[in-house]
Amino acid sequence: MTDVRLLVQRFDPFKDEEPRLVEYKVPKREGMTVLDAILYARDYVDHSIALRFSCRQASCGSCGMKINGRPRLACYTQVDELAGEKVVAQPMENFAIIRDLVTDLGSFFEKHAEVVPQLVRSDLQEQEHPTSEYVMKPEELTRVLQFTYCIKCGLCTSSCPTVATDSEFPGPQALAQAYRYTADVRDEGGDGRIAILDTPHGIWRCHFAGSCSYVCPKGVDPALGIQLLKRHVMSGHAPRKAGEGSPTAKAGIPAHGPGSGSSSGG
Amino acid sequence: MRESRLMLLQYVTALLAVALVSIHLMMQGVILPYDTAISFNNMLSIYRNAVTAVFLEALLLVVLVHGFNGLRIILYELRQTKPWTTWVDVVTVAAVIGTVAYGTRTVILAAFGVVSA
Repeated sequence: MTDVRLLVQRFDPFKDEEPRLVEYKVPKREGMTVLDAILYARDYVDHSIALRFSCRQASCGSCGMKINGRPRLACYTQVDELAGEKVVAQPMENFAIIRDLVTDLGSFFEKHAEVVPQLVRSDLQEQEHPTSEYVMKPEELTRVLQFTYCIKCGLCTSSCPTVATDSEFPGPQALAQAYRYTADVRDEGGDGRIAILDTPHGIWRCHFAGSCSYVCPKGVDPALGIQLLKRHVMSGHAPRKAGEGSPTAKAGIPAHGPGSGSSSGG
Repeated sequence: MRESRLMLLQYVTALLAVALVSIHLMMQGVILPYDTAISFNNMLSIYRNAVTAVFLEALLLVVLVHGFNGLRIILYELRQTKPWTTWVDVVTVAAVIGTVAYGTRTVILAAFGVVSA
């Protein structure tokens, strides 16, 4: 059995002046992920290694870190797929380090929340007492589907050159989510989101480097979402009026589904 | 003004700049030989022709608006404070007004014969 040379960046802001790389030898096994290697080092060599992880199946987005210079999920990166003799694990760029591989995602989630990442509708009565479903056509779903796969791991934001220089820039994750909800036919909150993003440090500061899309472990293309949102803003989309967001009303689909006889929309 | 309007201005002036600079370069070396094109008398005749004078004024306006709007965008990324943003806005707008005014002065002086051969 060969060993993996695992180098983990260690840094405690309360004690250390500079981050340093510490090497651990980890016995390699087939199918071993970088997360497995780090956990081995933590369990059997040095209990003080700090890292964040949870699901181990690329669903929770907790174990984002820079592996051999590129932002990746540690649980979704096998040691064998990395070129070179060693595995270097460092915390994500563009985030403050709490300790070792753990970064502060506070501002990341604040920016996510600022773009109102949920469907906004004015028909509260319909939401409280639904009379029908909010129907989406397949092509309307396709328009936003890939953006719903975002797991908020922060890899896109850590790779974004604009985030590195502009602390007020929302970042690719938040902007892609803004597009995801603005382009959703059931949503009526697009104008509110655009008012937040059509600002000096908003959506227009994206230079379309495309690194966000390159590093996304879920195949989401945030750079595309940002360009589509720019087009949406530039084309001066007319705001949808209350009730207009529901395709049930627009398409004239009976409110209680086919065959119900009612035609009122949501 | 909303940022999208300023960006629309940036895109429009970019397209116009490509067109106008292309014409300008053609005037400097394709329509006339370069040496003839940059001679003092030829330059004066360009300024005194209403069509080419308006063209030069348009070129001046488009390139300066595009350039200083681009500089504004770059400077925004240096700092993210409200005073800085305001300072950048004021300085770039003042720079556009100042340089356009100075360039326009040249066009007017040459066009109306204050400068002569």
